Amino acid sequence: MNKETAYWMSLAHELPAWSFSNQSGWKNEDKINLIIQFYYEKKMTIEVFFSLSKEVWKTEFLLSEQRIAELQTCKLTIANYSFLAENMESSGIEAVPLISQDYSKTLKENLKKSAPIVLYIKGNKQIMSEESVAIVGSRDASDIALQFTDNIAKSVSEKYKVIVSGFAKGVDKQALDSSIACRGQSIIVLPQGIMTFESGFKTYYKQIIEGDVLVLSVFHPKAGWGKDLAMARNSIIYGLAKEIYVAEAKPSINRQGKETKGGTWTGVVDGLKKGRTIYVRQPENSEKNDNKILIQKGAIAVDNKGNVILKDSSKYVQKIFSF
Amino acid sequence: MNRQQAELLLQQNFKLPKFYDEQWKTIDRVLNGGRVLLIEKTGFGKSLCFQFPATVFNGTTVIFSPLIALMRDQEKKLQSLGIAAKCINSEQTPEENSQIIEEAKRGKIKILYIAPERQENNEWIEATRQMHLSMVVVDEAHCISVWGHDFRPAFKRIINLVKLLPKGLPVLATTATATKRVEQDIAQQIGGGITILRGNLMRENFKLFVAKVNSEDEKMIWLGKNIEKMPGSGVLYTGTRIDTEIYSKWFNYLNINSTAYNAGLDANSRIAIENGLMKNQWKCIISTNALGMGIDKPDIRFIIHTQIPQSPIHYYQEIGRAGRDGETAYIILFYNPNEDKKLPEAFIEGGRPSIKKYEKVIECIKTGLFSEREIIKHTNLKQSQFRVIKADLLEQGIIREVNYSHSKKYEFVPNSQSLNTKAFEELRAAKTKDLEQMIEYIDTTDSRMKFLCDYLGDNTNHVFTNCDNTGEKKIKVIVADEWTAKLQEFRENYFSELVVESRDSNIINGVAASYYGVSNVGDAIHRSKYENGGDFPDFLLRLTLKAFRKKFGNEHFDLILYIPPTKSGDLVKNFAEKLSQVLKITISHNLKKVRETKEQKIFENNYLKHENVSNAFSYISPSEIIGKKILLFDDICDSCATIKEIGKLLTNLGAIKIAPIVIAKTVGGDLV
Ligand SMILES: Nc1ncnc2c1ncn2[C@@H]1O[C@H](COP(=O)(O)OP(=O)(O)OP(=O)(O)O)[C@@H](O)[C@H]1O
Ligand SMILES: [Mg+2]
Repeated sequence: MNKETAYWMSLAHELPAWSFSNQSGWKNEDKINLIIQFYYEKKMTIEVFFSLSKEVWKTEFLLSEQRIAELQTCKLTIANYSFLAENMESSGIEAVPLISQDYSKTLKENLKKSAPIVLYIKGNKQIMSEESVAIVGSRDASDIALQFTDNIAKSVSEKYKVIVSGFAKGVDKQALDSSIACRGQSIIVLPQGIMTFESGFKTYYKQIIEGDVLVLSVFHPKAGWGKDLAMARNSIIYGLAKEIYVAEAKPSINRQGKETKGGTWTGVVDGLKKGRTIYVRQPENSEKNDNKILIQKGAIAVDNKGNVILKDSSKYVQKIFSF
Repeated sequence: MNRQQAELLLQQNFKLPKFYDEQWKTIDRVLNGGRVLLIEKTGFGKSLCFQFPATVFNGTTVIFSPLIALMRDQEKKLQSLGIAAKCINSEQTPEENSQIIEEAKRGKIKILYIAPERQENNEWIEATRQMHLSMVVVDEAHCISVWGHDFRPAFKRIINLVKLLPKGLPVLATTATATKRVEQDIAQQIGGGITILRGNLMRENFKLFVAKVNSEDEKMIWLGKNIEKMPGSGVLYTGTRIDTEIYSKWFNYLNINSTAYNAGLDANSRIAIENGLMKNQWKCIISTNALGMGIDKPDIRFIIHTQIPQSPIHYYQEIGRAGRDGETAYIILFYNPNEDKKLPEAFIEGGRPSIKKYEKVIECIKTGLFSEREIIKHTNLKQSQFRVIKADLLEQGIIREVNYSHSKKYEFVPNSQSLNTKAFEELRAAKTKDLEQMIEYIDTTDSRMKFLCDYLGDNTNHVFTNCDNTGEKKIKVIVADEWTAKLQEFRENYFSELVVESRDSNIINGVAASYYGVSNVGDAIHRSKYENGGDFPDFLLRLTLKAFRKKFGNEHFDLILYIPPTKSGDLVKNFAEKLSQVLKITISHNLKKVRETKEQKIFENNYLKHENVSNAFSYISPSEIIGKKILLFDDICDSCATIKEIGKLLTNLGAIKIAPIVIAKTVGGDLV
């Protein structure tokens, strides 16, 4: 148990967030900069930081009056978070703050200043330091896409790497099931607060206690599922993985009945923008999905088994991939 | 705030003139955001050390308290002073609790008492997210320590909570009963620079006596003869629930105004008794240690134990209820050297299940996510045993208890240490030593108060003159024939109730002619049943008939049925036939077993007992039953699961009343 958990939770969740309508709010980056200041530069714990006076916050950390006021309000919530934290930890859920040795290094490297302040996890946290592969794709993926997912999951598991997936229907669920079927290891990244995942913890009880599954969430532990959380979760999946495989990107219909590109698409485009290498399954001509466009946009085409297909010759190249 | 200012407030809000020095010392630290462990004698006024600051702070003070009776007691006192105090507990309806939680969220409550178990409750956790918290208090903090006299696993969670609390949030832990070892344990567990304040523990207004006797009869006789002569009102502590019943029946028989109290009573009865205690409604309350800890009544004038507690620290805690107004209180301990060590020894020895059973539970938990009920069924363990095992495994971090939508499940903790049996050995050794100390208290020829203070780590040089070794007259028990006869007569006229009534059945509470195991009845039954001793002897028939008359008077019954046995042949049938002849009630042999059942006694818990007999019986010509009043006979009952099952069957077949009667009921189940 970490006695500073409640402090970290307050810092993560109780500062007004930046948004278009609140331009003076805290960006994740602002919080990380503050952490760098007190923890890495001044070598003080978060507990000590919060016990400093307003004056010190002002003179030593050069914080504005408004930020100081916000930190003070935040500080008042630490006692409240203690109760929640105790309840959470007693059910085997752990809060891993950014500064912890247990915090996924891959995630930190990939996301840099957008890395979440706290990871909430239950299960074998060792898994976070293994080589990892994300498999993503549509909720209503085709059979071919699911077969592809199964192929990748199995060969990844055979190589003792970890599968990262998002616990949605379709590809996510297939990736998890396949990994479990061959006793591989997986990280489930939740689109919700970790304390609302009761039924999942029931279902995966055995895998969790046997060390094969880690459940991870970056949201307030009590947060319910939300579309925006599901989107935000995608970047965590990408961030946790060294390699990314896309089974199928399909348009989806939103609530207004309009067709949109869907979460997978957005994730891949975003990933490509950040310079990540992303493998996309080469679709057959008859398939109706966006895989082809993604490949045109710079993703690497792979065949059904995950082998890279050379752009110019469409011939198999045997050795490039490395999982 | 300085002391003067604080005392002004004290006078206004608590109607007390001033603080004791130690109280102020504690309060001063607490007001400044400190963490304090306060060890002061029983009745000192530790509550004020958190109640006062709570009224000064803006927000709500949360007090973890182990006993509901204690919460209610303090809540009532504070409310009468006009202080917004409430308690949340499992004996209030969920609606009441929700209401209080709402008030707390809206900042309407200054002092909120809760049980540590509340930390499991989602609604409570949701509420803590919105409350304005000023301070956290752990009352009776010795419950944190396994080395204490009343370790409670749920307090472990409170420790974790306190560790998580931010620096500067005041935390106060209080207890009267912490040895040095317990003190160190608490301080180390709470950590975070806690200050320990320890006062002296002597209670000079006590007059302490020990009375050695040769039998239970001698205790009963002395008490019967003398209790009315004691000043004021008091508490008689017995070792077991059954004994509270027997002593209270004995006192009733003697027209001594008394009542029994134990954890087996329903909440309303207990509340009524607690209130009656405060109003001196009885000469004497006969209780297990379920009544006690922390209760603050000024004028309890005597506390008598019929059974030695497990340790001097238990004893100090229990007698601490007496004489809190500072006036003389009489403290008497009975001890029968031949018998009385057995019960506390059983708590120490028998309390710990075998290692095999621990392993069974661990294996079970590893195979899946189960509730207590499921684990008990899978492992065929007694509920009480499972609870001991569970507490140890939780304590050692091998399993954890997790709430899954209202049902608690047990999870195995991956990579946890393997079972540490050495810890059990150490604990057992410590407890055995404590018990030896308790015996030493009995045998000591020096000051008894000094003995207790020394034991608790308060090495005082004070010269005491307040016990039967230091000037007070010794108690001698003299048994006159007249009293032996009275007791004999009582024994033959006192029958225990079979509590079996339930909403969905026409069964009524019945009667047992005796207890199996505490009388010659048990031996007689055993001979007939298990040693081919022939029919149950006639004195059992006489006794059973007497029990019948006492309970049912001249009530009319249409039919007598008996429960078809698993083994032991026609014993029950023959006995029922005799009953039928004497009582002139028609007997029916039509109650049959439709499937094999096993002997109930091989099942260790009620779930399995119930399953064993569920739908196991039928009635051959059911029309016979419609509209009938039935007397249902069996030889021994333990859990009464069979009787209840048949009660349901007969109800469904149209019986309008089912009255059970048995020769003996076992003294099993929960002790306190
Ligand atoms: N400063 C004071 N002046 C006079 N009476 C006081 C003072 N402080 C407390 N008391 C009274 O002392 C009595 C005992 O107090 P309290 O119940 O707090 O004891 P305690 O220390 O908690 O004992 P226990 O260990 O038995 O729980 C109460 O009735 C209380 O009103
Ligand atoms: Mg008290």
